[in-house]
Amino acid sequence: MPEAAGIKVERLSRVFPPNVIALRSVNLEIKPGEFFVILGPSGSGKTTLLRIIAGLEVPTEGRVVIGGKVVVDAEEGIYVEPKDRDIGMVFQNWALYPHMTAYDNIAFPLRIKKLPKEEIDRRVRSVAEALGISELLDRKPTHMSGGQQQRVAVARALVKQPKVLLLDEPFSNLDARIRVSAREFVKELQRKLGITTILVTHDQADAFAVGDRVAVLRNGVIQQVGTPDELYDEPVNVFVANFIGDPPMNIVKVVSNHEVIKSLGLTDLVKGNEYVYVGIRPDEAVASSNSVDTHLSGEVVLIEHAGSRRYARVRTDVGLTLKVLADEGLVEGGRAYVRIKKMHLFSEGGSRITTLKL
Amino acid sequence: MGRTSKVKLLSKAKPGLTGLIRSPIKWLIVNVVAWVIGVLWILPFVGLFMTSVRPFGEVAVYGWWSIHPFTFTLKNYYNALFNPMFSLAKGFINSLIIAVPSTIIPVILAALAAYAFARFSFPIKNYLFIMMLFLMAVPQQMTIIPIFFMLNNMHLLNTYLGLILVHSSWGIPWITFFLRNYFSLLPKELEEIARVDGASNREIFFRIVLPVSLPGIISAAVLQFAWVWNDFFFALMLIYDPNKMVITQMLPRLKGQYQVDWGLLSAGSILAMSVPILVYVLLNKYYITGFRGWAMKR
Repeated sequence: MPEAAGIKVERLSRVFPPNVIALRSVNLEIKPGEFFVILGPSGSGKTTLLRIIAGLEVPTEGRVVIGGKVVVDAEEGIYVEPKDRDIGMVFQNWALYPHMTAYDNIAFPLRIKKLPKEEIDRRVRSVAEALGISELLDRKPTHMSGGQQQRVAVARALVKQPKVLLLDEPFSNLDARIRVSAREFVKELQRKLGITTILVTHDQADAFAVGDRVAVLRNGVIQQVGTPDELYDEPVNVFVANFIGDPPMNIVKVVSNHEVIKSLGLTDLVKGNEYVYVGIRPDEAVASSNSVDTHLSGEVVLIEHAGSRRYARVRTDVGLTLKVLADEGLVEGGRAYVRIKKMHLFSEGGSRITTLKL
Repeated sequence: MGRTSKVKLLSKAKPGLTGLIRSPIKWLIVNVVAWVIGVLWILPFVGLFMTSVRPFGEVAVYGWWSIHPFTFTLKNYYNALFNPMFSLAKGFINSLIIAVPSTIIPVILAALAAYAFARFSFPIKNYLFIMMLFLMAVPQQMTIIPIFFMLNNMHLLNTYLGLILVHSSWGIPWITFFLRNYFSLLPKELEEIARVDGASNREIFFRIVLPVSLPGIISAAVLQFAWVWNDFFFALMLIYDPNKMVITQMLPRLKGQYQVDWGLLSAGSILAMSVPILVYVLLNKYYITGFRGWAMKR
């Protein structure tokens, strides 16, 4: 295995003429061997970012450094072809060559390099072995399931033994059940190989399942970079708070002198804001029929079941409607008392003021 | 038969069409229309065939549709093929000599041009493409005199090579147009991943794009081949040595000077059309996928 390479992205911008700004001055530093995820809704520029790192597109400004080597620099006019960047890539639709068998697909990058036949055969078979697709080598892509096609695509990306693996939405075309095992498989493989990996996705579950660190991108701007826990526990702004977490955080816009602010004694914290956003994760607050040690009271509007959990939609007496975990004994239309374990406060501009543990 | 009418007829016969039709009334209408078109298309052929396998006297007296009396004979075919004056067999071979290279050359050149139009950017690309489309509308008759003099100056008049070159250049624009659209439908990721994996543009084209586009290439080749094979006008103008004449030129000569031997003529016609029909039947599978396009198959 070649040693893992770090990746630096500096002041990267991309403008699509006439005036679509896909990326705005993006800075990232990805450590060698890290599994890094770029997470964002569609149109956030995440795929453009990956394609620039791969060399399939060029930035308008800024530069990319892979393993200490500048691969593209808009100001200096440096551009290294994708093939010379030491990368392997997997696309969303896997882009397997439909006229070739799995074997030929995986062998393709090596044949282009004109390696000796025995060497190609040895490497194709060993990577196929490692990915558990040895028995598929004679099949064409149309005769494989989605999960199998994905493994072949990953094998093709890895057979060159690149320093960096780039994955563009590799799980999106898989159905829910296979998806879970595919994530585990990719994560495990990445751990084993220790290869620096960048994965692009719009799905936070993908991101949290595999990522060592996650960057949240919105409208071409990096919102926050951190471990999954950091993003979940300390979202830097309303967008990240809303985007991450399932079910999504309750985010309510209230005036600064709102009852709820006063009753929780937060008046000092929100000084200078006309409005603030209160954020409470459904999993970090519990509604019960017992009023001991609770913060808010209200009426249960609806009870929903989500897998093993139950959530209650509570219309509180102070006017906020919140979705929170439901304790046993709650009934629709009954009284409920909400105990908040953790609460986020965002300024009127949307950035986080503080996170309170209550 | 003209090129466009052929396309329409064949696309009517697309399999899998019924899969798109849910209501029974629609199904009925489609079936009726398909049968009417099918019968209209096949009936003249049956007549031709019946005439060709019987002595002419029998057809002249009773009509081709009567099966009583029916005398089966291959004499018409023999006479047509080995006519001492105008041997159709010779025309057959000449047609092959013309049609095969006149298919291969333009398909290869047009595929290269089409890929450039589909995937690369270069100055005046769009103007070039539009100009090509406009010039496709120019009728053959308008070009024939300059072509005639040009070939004459090049000493290529009345040669196979001359006619091959004319057919090839006549085929390049429409095949370019056809394949450009086909290539644009291919998923770009195939080419991009090949690029990441180190393939050059040439390797991407020959090892990925071309094999993946095989149905489209074959569709174009089948149409071009049928077009060249069926051509009468260019051959008439540019080939006058009876030994080099193509089958469509030989055919009218079977008519005879004083009376028309329909039996002979029918046999000759069937022989002449057998090749494009055979080509279509053999490549039918690719041809249809080619027209349906990759985009729908996914």
